[in-house]
Amino acid sequence: MSASMPSAAQAVLIEDVARVVEGVPGVAFLKPGLAARLRSALGRAGAGTGGPSTAGVRLTPGPHAAAGWHVDVQVVVVRQARAVEVARAVRRAVEQDLAVRFPGRPGSRVTVTITGQV
Amino acid sequence: MTTHTDPPEGTRADGDDERLPCGRPLSQVWDDWERQVSDPHSATCPHCRHAVRDLEQLETAVAGLREETPETSAYDAEPLTRRVMDLVRLELRPGRPLPLGEPAEDLWIMETVAARALRSAAESVEGVSAGSCRIVDADGPAAGVEVRLDIHAPAHVGLQELAERVRRRVREAADRELGMVIASVDIRVTDLVDSGAENREGDTA
Repeated sequence: MSASMPSAAQAVLIEDVARVVEGVPGVAFLKPGLAARLRSALGRAGAGTGGPSTAGVRLTPGPHAAAGWHVDVQVVVVRQARAVEVARAVRRAVEQDLAVRFPGRPGSRVTVTITGQV
Repeated sequence: MTTHTDPPEGTRADGDDERLPCGRPLSQVWDDWERQVSDPHSATCPHCRHAVRDLEQLETAVAGLREETPETSAYDAEPLTRRVMDLVRLELRPGRPLPLGEPAEDLWIMETVAARALRSAAESVEGVSAGSCRIVDADGPAAGVEVRLDIHAPAHVGLQELAERVRRRVREAADRELGMVIASVDIRVTDLVDSGAENREGDTA
């Protein structure tokens, strides 16, 4: 999918961001790659990894070492919540998490896209 | 700097759609099957038939899921099977990302998700059924998006007033449920439906 394979550290970071996002009230789940998952569950193409779903999180380092991350998050939200508030809460949560994790680095740019409502 | 004129890179309009070896997109094959549209290709192509069989299996599997977890159906009246299948379809053909919230917030919602909420708001007006709902970036300096909604309206009602009510509901839903700034709502009445048919109940002759 992505042009470059994430490093092991980056993969761990993605999982961490995924957990943070899924803990935000109003988030139903990360964009699950549901069609692919269900089809693979039926025994066709591509086996599931068994790990947490991180299909909805993409992490790109800034243009140079001193720059912040660019995080792209795609989530399905619950219908009862106002979509924009959930999206804002997701952005805040991810920004705070990365700020704690990388105190020396400039702020991250977080893009949030709502890909479904349930 | 990020503005709402730069949609996020990761959100492709073709979503997770898959092109079958015969060249047809999976979403089209599923659509055709659901709408019972048949053509010589789909009737004979082994790849298309295989894809349809997959969809049938998928629906059976999801229906089975529901039986295993009866308590989850309590929080939403809509059948779980339909909701899951809707999500699968949304992933295959999500439309374009549209701006959510204030300009330059870098928050987005996929067009099909927003369109569904707005169509359902329109249908909360009695007798109205919603058809195509396109949401596009507004031209000019106005903030927000332009909604173009087709509806079937009941015959024998004032269309001007009806359109105004639909417009109001759509604007309310966009604000309250989504948080999407709307520049304009264009309503096009594409058909008039005889509302007498709806009053049959308790009124049988």
